[in-house]
Amino acid sequence: MNPLFLEYTVVLLGIILLMVEAFLPDLDKKKIALAGIAGLFFVLFLTWMPLHSLSIESAPFYTTDPLALFFKRFMIVMTIITLWMSLDFIPVIQRGIPGERPGAGVGEFFILPIFACASLMWLVSAISFIMLFVSLECMTVVLYISISYLRKDPKTLEAGTKYLILSALTTGFLVYGITWIFGITGTTSIEHLADSIALLPPQSLTPLLFGVGLVLVAFCFKIAAFPFQFWLPDVYQGAPTPITAFLSIASKAAGFVLLLRFLEQLYLIPTLGKKVFAVTTLLAMMTLLFGNLAAMAQTNMKRLLAYSSIAHTGYVLMAVASIGAALALPAIGFYLVAYLAMTSLAFIVLLIVTETSGGNEIYCFQGLHERSPLLAAAMTVAMISLAGLPLSAGFFGKFFIFQVTFQQGHYGLLGVGTISVVAGIYYYLKVIKVMYWKQPSQGSAPITLSKLTTVLISLLIAVILILGIYPTPILMSLQ
Amino acid sequence: MTDTYGSLLVHVVVSLAFALSIWFASLLLGRIGTAFGVKNAAYECGMIPKMTIQPRFSVKFYLVAMLFILFDIEVIFMVPWAVCYRDFIVQYGDIILGSMLSFVTILMVGYIYAIKKGALEFAS
Repeated sequence: MNPLFLEYTVVLLGIILLMVEAFLPDLDKKKIALAGIAGLFFVLFLTWMPLHSLSIESAPFYTTDPLALFFKRFMIVMTIITLWMSLDFIPVIQRGIPGERPGAGVGEFFILPIFACASLMWLVSAISFIMLFVSLECMTVVLYISISYLRKDPKTLEAGTKYLILSALTTGFLVYGITWIFGITGTTSIEHLADSIALLPPQSLTPLLFGVGLVLVAFCFKIAAFPFQFWLPDVYQGAPTPITAFLSIASKAAGFVLLLRFLEQLYLIPTLGKKVFAVTTLLAMMTLLFGNLAAMAQTNMKRLLAYSSIAHTGYVLMAVASIGAALALPAIGFYLVAYLAMTSLAFIVLLIVTETSGGNEIYCFQGLHERSPLLAAAMTVAMISLAGLPLSAGFFGKFFIFQVTFQQGHYGLLGVGTISVVAGIYYYLKVIKVMYWKQPSQGSAPITLSKLTTVLISLLIAVILILGIYPTPILMSLQ
Repeated sequence: MTDTYGSLLVHVVVSLAFALSIWFASLLLGRIGTAFGVKNAAYECGMIPKMTIQPRFSVKFYLVAMLFILFDIEVIFMVPWAVCYRDFIVQYGDIILGSMLSFVTILMVGYIYAIKKGALEFAS
């Protein structure tokens, strides 16, 4: 099978669903979501089919190395989860869109993530700046629409505007950086960047560093590393919850893949490697400290998860700074998979609690174990895993990253990491305390879950617990 | 010195003289004919230059403008495509045509979607 067929199938799926939505306006919108999920499962199955080598035209732009394949599956799984949790989000969408018919705009909410998924799959395969830029923009355009989807809600509009302006600004940084790098090395290839840099005279390194800095700014915006994280809490809080989950996991993971491919090349040049290492270490330390310290004071669950997502960026950046170690890549891959499972679990519980309690403040979680034991258990597993306590996927995620950092001898980074883990335990366990030790507020009814949601929650809990005991399969697929 | 910048000086002098003469001419001639509000107003290609700052207009215009940009810009893309790849048609003809066809097909899907969603129905 031609590897490009994976993306083509996803785009085709999106187009077919869009046409179904256009021609059958009265169709039950749940069916569109279910068809999307089924189609994505089919594509996920296709990724295990043997792949042909690429044709000569696409080879300089597109790769199917293990990293790309791994993250293609990652993106598909994340899109499936997004669609799955959107099923519970239908009433909110209907309330949030000024439409003539009650179902207006719901179908597109399920179709947009599929298009984003296709562009993310291209993105993780991109080994040329051109391919990278086009697929990155393709993803961002879909996100602009999705984030500001609930037009009646001023907070959503605020989030959409903030994301649009800041994202457009960083796109400017990215293009400008790419221009500088192209101007100096004469290539847009990321794969052979180190070869081109090695041929340069030493005085060209300074302008090259300028270009590298600009590109790093753009990538750091995508992963929300410390000085470029200001957009994140507001956008997370305003965006529709399934899209927040998608943004926080898929978009961030894609940013890390880009960062990895780019930095890997720079680390091959010793003079550049040292400078870039210093920058990444600094970014990692500041991101860790900022994310964890700012998360402590949060009273809103969505903002708490936003700051926690900044903190987790910091942990992954620790491994990115140790990129020379043999296990750095599997450690990052495993961490992101664990992050996918635990963060989407937290967002699903948040979504349902918000629906039934009328808010996403932490006090809305009071006495959740009496209202729905499964939800409380799911949130507990998610929080324990996010905090990195043993027997959960999050523990091994942090363990591998700390191991890699230790092997490379970055003890300062290790120290900051340890402090952040301790700080993290405080605010994650605070949520568990609210759920089990506080009485539910008056008038709050027990929560009943639909069968599909129960299945998804149970699956994610199982994944977190299994990976917390047996992490080998994920590690092996990236080695 | 005079050779290089002399022509520039002549240019500046001539343009200034032209602008000033037009100004004086309109001052002199403008008093002869009848003057009324609209005639004295600045000419803006047929638009009324003085009106409320934010006039109300149908939101449909915004949709039309967006669709226009979407479906018009593709021509700007097609012309360089046709010119750039002329030399490669013999060798890679299928790929060149296929890429453009897939692009146009996706655009076509968008067009059908816009029609079905009633984006071009102005009466309602």
